[in-house]
Amino acid sequence: MSTSTSGIPFRENTVPALRDKILRAAMSNATETFAVKRTDAMAGLPVEEWREQASALRMHVLDNLSDYVDRFAENAARAGANVHRAKDSEAAREIVASVLKDHRIGRVVKSKSMVSEEIHLNGHLEKEGITVVETDLGEYIIQIAGEGPSHIIVPAIHKDRRQVGKLFAEKLGCDYSDDPAVLTKVAQKVLRREFLSAKAGISGANFAVADSGSIVLFTNEGNGRMCTTLPPLHIAVLSIEKIIPSLADLPKFIRLLPRSATGQMITSYLSVITGSRKPGESTGAQEMHIVLLDNGRSELVRGEYREMFKCVRCGACLNACPVYRMVGGHAYGSTYPGPMGIVLTALLEGMERAGSLLDATTLCGACGDVCPVKVPLPKLLRKLRESRVEQGLTPKLEQSAMAGFGKIVKSPMLFHLGQMAGHLFWPIATKLGHSAGLGRMPRPVAKTFRERVS
Amino acid sequence: MTREEMIALFMENAGKVAAEPIRVRDYDEFGKVLNEALAETDSVFCPGLTEKENAVHIPPEKRTKEYVSASACIEEASAAIAETGSLVFSSEKGKPVQAGLLPGHHLAIVSSENIYETLDDYFSAIGSSPPTNITLETGPSRTADIELTLTIGVHGPGRLTVIVF
Amino acid sequence: MRVQLFATCLVDTMFPETGEAVMRLLRHFGVEVGYPAGQTCCGKPADSGGYSGESRKAAEHFISVFEKTDGPIVIPSGSCASMVKNHYPELFNHDPVMRQKAEVIASRTYELTQFLVHVLKAHEAGFSGSGKITYHASCQLTRELGVREEPLMLLRSLRGAEFVPLAHADRCCGFGGIFMAKLPELSMALADEKVDTILSSGADTVTGCDHGCLTNIADAIKRRGAAVRVKHIAAVLAEGLK
Repeated sequence: MSTSTSGIPFRENTVPALRDKILRAAMSNATETFAVKRTDAMAGLPVEEWREQASALRMHVLDNLSDYVDRFAENAARAGANVHRAKDSEAAREIVASVLKDHRIGRVVKSKSMVSEEIHLNGHLEKEGITVVETDLGEYIIQIAGEGPSHIIVPAIHKDRRQVGKLFAEKLGCDYSDDPAVLTKVAQKVLRREFLSAKAGISGANFAVADSGSIVLFTNEGNGRMCTTLPPLHIAVLSIEKIIPSLADLPKFIRLLPRSATGQMITSYLSVITGSRKPGESTGAQEMHIVLLDNGRSELVRGEYREMFKCVRCGACLNACPVYRMVGGHAYGSTYPGPMGIVLTALLEGMERAGSLLDATTLCGACGDVCPVKVPLPKLLRKLRESRVEQGLTPKLEQSAMAGFGKIVKSPMLFHLGQMAGHLFWPIATKLGHSAGLGRMPRPVAKTFRERVS
Repeated sequence: MTREEMIALFMENAGKVAAEPIRVRDYDEFGKVLNEALAETDSVFCPGLTEKENAVHIPPEKRTKEYVSASACIEEASAAIAETGSLVFSSEKGKPVQAGLLPGHHLAIVSSENIYETLDDYFSAIGSSPPTNITLETGPSRTADIELTLTIGVHGPGRLTVIVF
Repeated sequence: MRVQLFATCLVDTMFPETGEAVMRLLRHFGVEVGYPAGQTCCGKPADSGGYSGESRKAAEHFISVFEKTDGPIVIPSGSCASMVKNHYPELFNHDPVMRQKAEVIASRTYELTQFLVHVLKAHEAGFSGSGKITYHASCQLTRELGVREEPLMLLRSLRGAEFVPLAHADRCCGFGGIFMAKLPELSMALADEKVDTILSSGADTVTGCDHGCLTNIADAIKRRGAAVRVKHIAAVLAEGLK
């Protein structure tokens, strides 16, 4: 099946992925482990009630997003942060680069941020002569490997320990080891020096709190804390839909996000950062910048796909998805993979680019079942497929076949003719349409069920 | 929930995340537990901002003012949360929250009257002008980024000891 | 009691023996089975591809055929039954008259095992069976219709047959309708994974409620060269009637 030339070649990407035994084993292990941990973590808890409350709160914010963004910006500024609003990726990248350049900073430590991937921040900073050191272990691994993240929670999960060991030995010059504890120590030693000498830290944020102007980070390693409390300058980049009304709303998400993501009751660290260091304090960046990214969201939250923006980036839908389990995140060719990635990529980057990703689902519904904030992913995927058809972006042969279907489905006579033709021409049809799966279906029978009962 | 039940719940949940919870009831016990815990350590940082922090006896040759290079940090948490077994550290009153992040062993003192039962109880009490940094710490630092194999102790402390007093 | 059978296009065109098995099963309980002439396809293939215009045509036709009848409508397919029950009303959101008709049709519709268990209590009938049987739980059947227990109750009731559970039974087999045609490599890889679990179960027969899934699974079994029979649940139950 052909795809638009500017489109992501999803099917082509899946072929080598399916043959990659290491990748297949890694993805099976990861998704199954996460799924079991998530189920165990939710057992015996009023999860349905929690999901409903979290979903309602997220919808409320999205329905009043503009007001909440203003409120957050005002309160963050009141607490001493410099708040910047970025219309799109380019604007956001420019803001970060110019803050760093104003301070003549040529090297920055960074804790994991999916939105920074969305805006292609690292590449831009490197072009501006600024070295970015990723400090989350998974991000550190893929940075050394020159790859993008393949999962939104565990970016390097597509690699096995031997691959990581080889990578470290080759690129860092250390002795080869495939023991995760040893490899972690290697990274820890290198990064500790970076943390202690860094003049600036970049982070994302899991949530932003409107009433207090705080950002909230859920982390496990401690690198997020290092990046946001050791250097004198902290830049946080986040997209506008991450806002929640007040700190009193945070527990709802504390209960759902870690359980959905990793099966933990809570992450090792949860940081609530409110503005810059205040008089009498010994913690906090002296100067804090917050970049609020729009990138089409303020428009999209008014449209028919707005429920997608309830997403809290837990990755549970990735772990539940049969397609994602088979091919991993890189096959999606996009910042965000898996079910949430298909929808977000289509919404943020458009159908021409993301159209083929809409094939990457069997509409099995597993994703919708696990979403902690009840994003109706199967419904959104079906709607996007309808939109793709309306925009005329499906293959011409498929469009003709469907038009033909529309005609015969209303006419029992034509339908029966079609069945007879299918039976007669099956040998030819399967040769021509073998790649379309016809060869895997059985031959239409000579005497249909209808003929047998009549 | 009674205070005793809250303490028990906190210790149970702290234990689940490998936070080595210990209960002491007076300064004698406190001193004994600390001596044991700090016996193997060569350099200890303590902020000395609270009464209990000031009751921590550290031999002068082991005490350091530099948390960056200390092997242990002992300090009092501003609060704790029973529901999750979490400690709360806040930047109020000049507390350097990062002091507990850098050394390999973090020892946290929790006054039993500062234990909140639930996350809601704690977060509803903060108000809308919080200090610059509030950090909930639940167990030692960890990662599972390589093959989802758990490694304890990454950038933050690999060992967390909680002393409920 | 009289019911109306919607055979489904797959049964009509490729698996007529399943339709015959359904009729034998229902008649065993004294149910009269009507087979409304003129039925074609429920429209699911068009619907899942995003061709709502074409799926609406299929729905209009289905409604026009079945509204001339009354009584329960029984469908030996989770995906078709869900299409009728859950998606038909939505297709007519802009047409109150048709929406009302769709809702009436939807309320009359049962997936086969729903009807067998809740109306006919077939799980108490003491059917006989043989061999080791395992069960693949199709996606729309479980997640859209909520049918999880009924097929298991029926299979466990078979005297002489051993039911063995399938690991990850409700994992997608990779059929996905149009998915099988557009991403055949992925479809086959998912089916292969399903065959792995079937072989691990030790079963000599795998059954399910949807011919789409069973076709994809049968193809993978053939490619593997495994000696496992693939039968629709209607055929498994009807075997015990001989």
